[in-house]
Amino acid sequence: MSEIILSIKDMEKTYVGGVHAVKGISFEVTKGESLAIIGSSGSGKSTVLRCINRLIEPTKGIVQLKGERINTPASDINDVRSRIGMVFQSFELFAHLRVIDNVSLGLIHVRGIGKEEAESEARKVLERVDMLDRVDAYPGNLSGGQKQRVAIARALAMKPEVMLFDEPTSALDPELIGSVLETIQGLAEEGMTMVVVTHEISFARDVADRVLYMDQGLVAEEGPSSIIDKPKTERMKEFLSSIND
Amino acid sequence: MTSEASTEGGLRLSKAVNLLLPVSLFLLLISFSGVSAQEVRSGWDLVDGGTVSDLHTAEAINGEIWAFGDGGIMLKSLDGGSTWIGNVIAEGYNWSHSDSGYNSILIATDDGVTIILENIGNGENDSNDNIPIFPGQFPINDVALTGSQEFVTVGENGEIWEFDGDEWINRSFGIVNDLLSVSFLDGEDVGLISGEEGIILATDDGGASWDYRDAPGELSTVDIVDIEYFSSIRAYAISEDGHILKSSREGSLAVGFVWSIVEIEREYPVGGSNEFVKGGTELDYDASSIKVLSQSKIMLAGPSGYLSLSKDGGNIVSRQMIPVSNNTSFNAFAMQDGFRGVAVGDGGVILRTENAGSEEFVGFEVADFNDFGQFVDYSKERLMDGLVATAKIVFFGILMGFSLGIILSMLKTSPTTLKNVAQTNRYQLLIMVVLVPLWAILKVPVSVFNIIGVIFGSKKRHHDIGSNNWVMVNPLDSTLISYREKAAQIAASEPLNILAIRAVGLVLISFGVYRILSNLDEISALNLDGWEHIYSPIGAPSAVFWIILGLAIAVLGGIFLSCNGDFSIRDLKVRKTEFSLNPWGIRPLNTIATAYTDIFRNTPLLVQFMFIHFGFELGRRMQDPGLMLFNFEYLQGNANFLTDIFVVYETNPESLGYGRPIGGILEDRAYISAIFALGLNSGAYQCETIRGAVAAIPSGQMEAGRSIGLNYMQSMRLVVMPQAIRICIPPLGNEMVNLVLNSSLAMIIGYAEITRQGKLIVATTFQVFWTWGMVLVSYFLITWTLALFLRYLEERTRIPGLGISGGA
Ligand SMILES: Nc1ncnc2c1ncn2[C@@H]1O[C@H](COP(=O)(O)OP(=O)(O)OP(=O)(O)O)[C@@H](O)[C@H]1O
Ligand SMILES: [Mg+2]
Repeated sequence: MSEIILSIKDMEKTYVGGVHAVKGISFEVTKGESLAIIGSSGSGKSTVLRCINRLIEPTKGIVQLKGERINTPASDINDVRSRIGMVFQSFELFAHLRVIDNVSLGLIHVRGIGKEEAESEARKVLERVDMLDRVDAYPGNLSGGQKQRVAIARALAMKPEVMLFDEPTSALDPELIGSVLETIQGLAEEGMTMVVVTHEISFARDVADRVLYMDQGLVAEEGPSSIIDKPKTERMKEFLSSIND
Repeated sequence: MTSEASTEGGLRLSKAVNLLLPVSLFLLLISFSGVSAQEVRSGWDLVDGGTVSDLHTAEAINGEIWAFGDGGIMLKSLDGGSTWIGNVIAEGYNWSHSDSGYNSILIATDDGVTIILENIGNGENDSNDNIPIFPGQFPINDVALTGSQEFVTVGENGEIWEFDGDEWINRSFGIVNDLLSVSFLDGEDVGLISGEEGIILATDDGGASWDYRDAPGELSTVDIVDIEYFSSIRAYAISEDGHILKSSREGSLAVGFVWSIVEIEREYPVGGSNEFVKGGTELDYDASSIKVLSQSKIMLAGPSGYLSLSKDGGNIVSRQMIPVSNNTSFNAFAMQDGFRGVAVGDGGVILRTENAGSEEFVGFEVADFNDFGQFVDYSKERLMDGLVATAKIVFFGILMGFSLGIILSMLKTSPTTLKNVAQTNRYQLLIMVVLVPLWAILKVPVSVFNIIGVIFGSKKRHHDIGSNNWVMVNPLDSTLISYREKAAQIAASEPLNILAIRAVGLVLISFGVYRILSNLDEISALNLDGWEHIYSPIGAPSAVFWIILGLAIAVLGGIFLSCNGDFSIRDLKVRKTEFSLNPWGIRPLNTIATAYTDIFRNTPLLVQFMFIHFGFELGRRMQDPGLMLFNFEYLQGNANFLTDIFVVYETNPESLGYGRPIGGILEDRAYISAIFALGLNSGAYQCETIRGAVAAIPSGQMEAGRSIGLNYMQSMRLVVMPQAIRICIPPLGNEMVNLVLNSSLAMIIGYAEITRQGKLIVATTFQVFWTWGMVLVSYFLITWTLALFLRYLEERTRIPGLGISGGA
């Protein structure tokens, strides 16, 4: 069996104010694997992703990156985050920077690479997401799909060990979804380790190696992507039918 | 405002604004050029003699002017005193007395050394090699030539000596008083001597024999310090206490027999004022030297910058305006004729005149302030001064306010909680307290170097991927990184040391409690009752400060002491109500910044001005140590453009203000106070403006920054702030315009900005409408220029697709 990149054990999260969003979940992601997390709204999917790169601190549990525990005060949070790529639902491109600067910012200021080298690196990554023709544009002048591809490039440029996608297509018009999913699919085929929270069931079925169904802060069902076609639990069945409608 | 179609990243600005900006600046500039119409100019010009030695005596003869002084110094001018050639005769001798005539100049020292310079003005090169120096015989108080080789000297205890070209002859005749001055009429054998206790002596045989003359009785106890035999009909003398004595030929009685004290009718002070001191027989000032220009025209010189002229033999004496310090002592005149000549004094001062020192009145008639043109002519210079003064405090105020605003808003939005503080280990502490500040200090020169590199090395910083050899890295970069690693390792290997945190808590509690207890006495000593206690922060500022700080420290200590390692939320139940306490979520930096902004935003700026300047005396407290640091002695030769920002000294030794600050921030206490009052106040408001803009940036931007591995400060600096500042340019512009307008409050602490100048103009001209109207226009020009600049900046920095801006 190949190397375990990401391992989550008994993770819980209670928000300030008492919402128990994640009630103890565990899973592992091996190298090159793509895991899709599905589940109804409010089931805690985003919370799980954000706990992984510690944008919020899990209340309990252990998060390990390549066997090293990362949710302790001791671990260098910035280093950890630079090794985990994150793509947001709402893109969150740096609005005041051009595409090329968005992508090279982390290389320059986190990796300490010189400006020129960083820019040529950034161009390579932008080529992978097919955005090379708009390097000098500002995010405000891009379409949603293009923005999300730049956001993917920005995460990708840091050469992360695992990429987290939080509903990367749900803020996009249907006709723009395709290009972004294609890009993610391309990454999966190249062997990028990734965790994708998505409402695109067909994408989960076709691209993901494994699917994890979350319900009310718990893992309700887990297995190869084929479980989408024959869900065992009632809840998942309901969920899938509600989505297919 | 309209703007042209946008291009990505380009300059989008309407042509109108592009034009308006330089035009308004230009108008501002030309509106304050031109000369002032009404002023009095000194009739004396300061000329450079090339020495700082004291000059004691001077002679004008045969078209040349000579001056002599300490250290054997001898100066000569061939052009009526404009330029001087320096020379030294017999170094070490202090030439103090002189006389000229018969184509010769005689000079002498106090100890009796004398020299005759012959053939003056015949064009020969002067060589000092073979001038005979007559060694000192006895003290000399004055000398007078009686021929080209012959002269008479007078000195202490009635000594009179005559030198006949070969040998010295003692002409003393039993007088014990000191003789102070001697004067002969050139070409004649008649001469006069004056001395202590009103002594006047006369000779008519070339100095061989001397007789007493009758000086006025009132002067029998005063010294007659200078006497001049001007012509066969007129002689003048001056006494140490300011009596002018005059002697004329009366019938067959030669000059010198009858002396009278001149009635001084009027004595005018400097500046051609109409007010005069009602006369008497004594001058208001001490004079030590008299020069007669014509039968009735006399000039007087003395210590404390005293130079004066009388055109009617002393009836009306006008003190003259001089272009140098009033501390200058004038010792002698050398006049080529009744108008042109020089006055010399201590410190190598040489003043030259072409009109006997009379002031020149430019536009002498009083300006008619009902004529708008003349009114503007008069007031523009004051307004200009005010404008510059306002611009200075505004510039530094904005600088300070903006920096403070950024810092405070960072503090306010900082997420650092007590929990983070408790988790800090010693390496992190070292990094924060020592390394980062050092790194930041080094960052400045490195950045400057790199900016220069960008300017000279590669022009296009963003687009070019050419070679750039100019980039320099901060030498502390690697140290900082290695210490960060070390800190992380320590944090990883050492578990949270709860015991240490609790120990720190205990120390803090005891320190805090100790502070409170030791300061309570001072509060109770104030004898305040009930609500009067709200004023105790003023009655005992340091005690209240320490009590509040002590409370804060004690509470902090309590929280630390209660640490059990999980930093969780505490649920409390008091009676039936449940409380949720989150002490570890307290953000100390936010608390400090909030206290600051609360104080400054809830008190009126006018009162802040007065409190800061008069109450706290910030100006004085900053100026004294500042001037000690940048003191005159140190800055002499060490001054550069950086120290000039702080203080500029008057370095011209001849100037009135020599060694005093004449520029820079430290020059004026009110200036310092004004900058701080404006800056501190504006900082509090700008902080809120910037914080508002930071709050308007979606939190996702920060998260995105953090998610690629930027730390908090980097995300703030590279992601949040650049966007926030762009958003808040309009409100910040408001703040800055407000700051300009608020700067007018500086007038109440005596700072001479525009409004105060306006008040002064009204006091002189009584033109209220015009004055305040012009003050308004001046303010409008400043703020409008500022507003245009900010609009330009806004356009310049706008990001395509970000925000709704009305334009493209
Ligand atoms: N910052 C927060 N503070 C308090 N409660 C929160 C916070 N963020 C999320 N929650 C709550 O936590 C639960 C899980 O939220 P989460 O965002 O993880 O859901 P999700 O599965 O991502 O939903 P969706 O599919 O709609 O994105 C929800 O009930 C939500 O209301
Ligand atoms: Mg979500």
